[in-house]
Amino acid sequence: MAGASNLSGLALETSGELQSPGSASSNRSLRVAENVRKKGERNPFQFALNYLSQVQEGTVVRGNDALERNLVLVETIALSQGLPPEAVSLLLDLALSLRAGSVTCSRILKFLIPASVVPQEAIVRGMSWLCVGKMPLNAQVLFLRWVLTVFDLIDCKDHLRAVYGFIFSFLTEENLCPFICHLLYLLTMREHVQPFRVRKLLEIQTRMGKQSFLMQLLALYKVFRPELVTLSVPSRLRTGFKNHNSTWKAALSAVQRKNRTQMMADHSLSLGVKGKPVSRKRKLDHLEVPPLSSSFYTNSKKTVFQLQELRSFTELLQNIHNIELPAQMGSLLGCSLALHYLDCVQDESAFLRLNFWLGYSLQEEFLLCPVDGDSDSQTEASRFLATILSSQQFLQESFLSTESFLYKFLSVWDGSLLRSQVLDLLSHVPLMPSHHIRMLLFEPLMQLYFTSSVFFKCSVLECLNSMLLKWLTWHSINALENGLDISLNSNGTVTMTLSGFMDTVIELVRFVGRLAAEGLRLENCHVLLLSHTLAFYETVCDMFVKYGLPLVIMPPADVFYPALLATDSVSVDRLGYIMYRYRKNLTLAKKQGQQREQTFHISRVTYQEFNKHLVAMVSCLWNSKSFLSGTGIEVDERQLIQSKVPDHWSSFDLVHHPAFFKYALEFHQKCWPERKRVDLASIKVGKYWNWYVEFLFSQGFDGLNDFIKVNTGQSYSSSSSSQGDSQPTGQH
Amino acid sequence: MDGQAKTILQRIIRKIPNKKLEVTLKSWDRLSTEQLESLDCTQPKWLFLENLISRCGEKRLGLKAVTKLEMVYYIDNPNQGTWQAFQLMEAEDDAVSVSFTQFRERFKANLEEDFRHISIRMKKLEDGAIWIRIAWGDNFRKPNHLKPTYVVHYLQTPYVFFLNFMSKHKPFLYEALFRATRHTSIKEAHLSGRSLTALRDLVMRQYQQVFPTKDRTLKERNGTPLHPNIEKEHAEYAERRHQMACEAFGDGILPKLERAVYKLETRYRGNSSNTLNDKDELFRGVVKFSSSNLLQSFHHCVATGIVEGPVTPLLSSITQKGKNYFVITDKVPGATH
Amino acid sequence: MALLTPYSKIPELNTATILLIENEERFQTKLADAIVQQEKDVNVNVRLARKLPLPLENGDSRPRVDLVVFVVSLRSERSLQAVESSLNYLASDYYLGKVCFVVTDARCGTLAQERMLRVRRLAASHHCPVLCAEHQTEEGIAMAAMRLLTILKVSAGLSPMATTALYLSSLTRCAAAPELDDD
Repeated sequence: MAGASNLSGLALETSGELQSPGSASSNRSLRVAENVRKKGERNPFQFALNYLSQVQEGTVVRGNDALERNLVLVETIALSQGLPPEAVSLLLDLALSLRAGSVTCSRILKFLIPASVVPQEAIVRGMSWLCVGKMPLNAQVLFLRWVLTVFDLIDCKDHLRAVYGFIFSFLTEENLCPFICHLLYLLTMREHVQPFRVRKLLEIQTRMGKQSFLMQLLALYKVFRPELVTLSVPSRLRTGFKNHNSTWKAALSAVQRKNRTQMMADHSLSLGVKGKPVSRKRKLDHLEVPPLSSSFYTNSKKTVFQLQELRSFTELLQNIHNIELPAQMGSLLGCSLALHYLDCVQDESAFLRLNFWLGYSLQEEFLLCPVDGDSDSQTEASRFLATILSSQQFLQESFLSTESFLYKFLSVWDGSLLRSQVLDLLSHVPLMPSHHIRMLLFEPLMQLYFTSSVFFKCSVLECLNSMLLKWLTWHSINALENGLDISLNSNGTVTMTLSGFMDTVIELVRFVGRLAAEGLRLENCHVLLLSHTLAFYETVCDMFVKYGLPLVIMPPADVFYPALLATDSVSVDRLGYIMYRYRKNLTLAKKQGQQREQTFHISRVTYQEFNKHLVAMVSCLWNSKSFLSGTGIEVDERQLIQSKVPDHWSSFDLVHHPAFFKYALEFHQKCWPERKRVDLASIKVGKYWNWYVEFLFSQGFDGLNDFIKVNTGQSYSSSSSSQGDSQPTGQH
Repeated sequence: MDGQAKTILQRIIRKIPNKKLEVTLKSWDRLSTEQLESLDCTQPKWLFLENLISRCGEKRLGLKAVTKLEMVYYIDNPNQGTWQAFQLMEAEDDAVSVSFTQFRERFKANLEEDFRHISIRMKKLEDGAIWIRIAWGDNFRKPNHLKPTYVVHYLQTPYVFFLNFMSKHKPFLYEALFRATRHTSIKEAHLSGRSLTALRDLVMRQYQQVFPTKDRTLKERNGTPLHPNIEKEHAEYAERRHQMACEAFGDGILPKLERAVYKLETRYRGNSSNTLNDKDELFRGVVKFSSSNLLQSFHHCVATGIVEGPVTPLLSSITQKGKNYFVITDKVPGATH
Repeated sequence: MALLTPYSKIPELNTATILLIENEERFQTKLADAIVQQEKDVNVNVRLARKLPLPLENGDSRPRVDLVVFVVSLRSERSLQAVESSLNYLASDYYLGKVCFVVTDARCGTLAQERMLRVRRLAASHHCPVLCAEHQTEEGIAMAAMRLLTILKVSAGLSPMATTALYLSSLTRCAAAPELDDD
């Protein structure tokens, strides 16, 4: 901030000389030559301004070489360095008064590039020229477009707000209406929303139809005074205002960049705004989160505080009732204080404007233009998305506009562009009704998932897992507060019934189950994919105990058996943990169900499924009865004989299971170091079995440990007898 | 330097872009090296002009020198307007032996006979082109240097190119050309465009032509050979299309023709609309093609299969006949069906 | 009418053939290179064509085509029309999981969005998947090549587990175009 006021102060003192001596040490070498040449031209610039200020009404323009020469001089300076505030004000007055004709008027407007700020008096005077009504239409439009372009550079806006009524009156001019709407949108505060204005707006709207700019303004009015605007405004407005800055964009950003680099060299900005002097490309202008505008006069008389003036949280708290939002709402994203403010105040107009800005930027940069392939734009784009993501994480809520952007983007996504950012954002998507989620999310994800690599599959599962986690967390917090209905955003405008919520969760879990099952099949039970699948079910199995959602969904057999028969011990261990948690959940559910019948009911099928899995797992790992009838996985006896695997019934018990084979060998070696011939079957005899199981659990297989303890706990002592049973069953 | 020379010099300097100023002044060869060095071409034009006029004053350069400057600039940058091609006909026996000196003398003498006030500059370039600049006047008025006509002719060829050519001077210019080149008639070649070299290349066939060949051996055009596992199903078609395009429009760098115009004076054939099907009235229309390089565009369209072959003779006759203005009439006048 | 049929020829050992059809011939060569370069285990043949039907004279030398890919650029109307007309020259057996669409320039404004809807409708009516590709970046091309290889291996019967082309296509095929705008 210090640097900013320094610059504007400097520009006041030494009009025309914009570079503060000693700054820009880094650029110095480049500028030496230029500076030498400029020295001779400094005075001429002042002269030129003086000359232009004295241009009288009715001056001949055609063939007026002196005027032409001075204009050219000012023009070059303006386009290369920008104009100091009072030069802007002087030239604007010259242009709009039409003292030098309308052609010169447009010409001046086109090179009116401010170096630092635009004094608001200049704009107010400009408005008064507009009221005079002499300007040709194209000049009027050009002027308004210019005002919109430099809006953020206007030093303060209270006087401009004071003439709100005058500006409003131009709405009736059909050609100016879109621009005036945009300007009003940026200026409007609560006290501006008056019944007569609303009436006027509605009247214009009936005349002109549902123009998007009118709708935007009305939406804002509705936010401020909902009782005045009875019109229903769609919750998601497609597009609001067009960009009007094309004429000045390139020159303005060049000048600003130049000045910014000079400032940055000497002073680091406060507020932690990451205003890096990134080179902007033409198309990617939106991708940079605009810094909270940094060059403003501090006006002590003012009652409103601007966000960018706040330095600390205490200041925020003291002024929270009269804070003014910046014009470019995107700048809020980069700033934690601003986000605090958003979070505390829950100002719907702020969210509306932020969503408008975001939606527009996202649409423009990701859906309306192809990437030009260079890595710069890619990193810029990913940084932009990361900023959105971190803001969403801060607010613990996703923006409406990101959400609708994501759905559109998914349908044209190739699966590799900005993958991690897109998936991260996706995992923040709020709950939605189940029929929507199928169409918007599952449909495009399915196609991408099944045609992509195993790593992509893993990241999709991870994303969906974290999505489910967020939903469950949201539910567990909100369900406590307002009973069965769950509000989907923080201000409770969108709600969903518990059964609706459950439907969506069921839908998601089923979907992931399908993805995982088919994915495991296609990828030959890839370990990584299995691990991500199990991670998902670790969330699913605990929905009731941990998150209070009365829902238990079992994994499909295509997921269960690959995990049970996996070759890595971690997967089997995790499966053990999952089954253990399922048991806990189901037990609790049963207990509660017996106590109060009405709360919920878990279907018999779920219990049956669980029991089936349980039996299969126990008989496989513990009882050495795999593949026999009544154990869940049955394989035809003849085929088993044909396979010529000796003792096939025991080949997946804790000793012979490929995942634990290594441990069995190690145990064997420790017990009988002198033995030459390995006989794993001897582990199963007597006390060795108990020792082995203990040895196995001491290796960190806690999940399995819990599973075994819970499911065979009561018969732990008789386990030797049960394994004794297993021998005869296998023999006949 | 008198006022007229100054005005013309100003005109010329305004026309020349800043970056070409230095080169042009150098090839003008009227100022000394020191004088050239003292001029700053990056200055605004009005300032530069003032300096230049003072240098010319030092050297006592007059109108003649100024017209030479213009000609020098035009020779280096001939794309200044629309050039029109003409073809001389009925050569006499000694047409083949006309030398530049003969040509110049006869041409000048002939025109100076007709006009009391006329200014003719002539220069032969290394490639054989004769450049003629004519500023017309009449018996009462001095030559108008603001609107000179440029004529370019290659000796021993029937082609002449005109720039800024007014019909009232037509008979005199034709006559002078007949005398100078020993021909007896002339006709419009129906070829015009901004690029003089393109017109020349087109009429004199100075571009890479491709003729139909019997053996269709597939030659690999683009240098990068395909991976052995990649096969193009339509390779032969592509080759054929390319051959077709080359036969019709030439290969390599093609003359930069900007447009082709087809004037239709045919009857509308179709049975849908009655208003168009007027049996007596011609269905008049003009079809214009324009592009920064028309032949290249046509070539591309055919070679990439955007248009299906074979190439219509209407398009291929641009190169075959060296024309870009066609009038299309019905073969059998009054034919109905 | 010269129909292209999937089962009239005997497959070669450890070989898969993919046919890339693109009217503009812009993206297909890059894609073909990426496909050939990426696959190391299986011998992949790539055939490039502008449209169907394929020239008869290549009929004998052409191996059995396991996957037909239509590349559509949403920037051009012709591109889409060419694909529409080509679809008739495929034997119906191909539509059981051996055809897919690759769409480029899908993020190019409203016109592209409208054409995208048409492609989706077309694909849905033929039970084919639609893949979007970023043809301007290296990663995008590599990704597209990889995804096509995934489908190709299944449709050529080279996937390790017994997954058939028909089964995979039941998972990936394009459903009726989603109407995002009504939301």
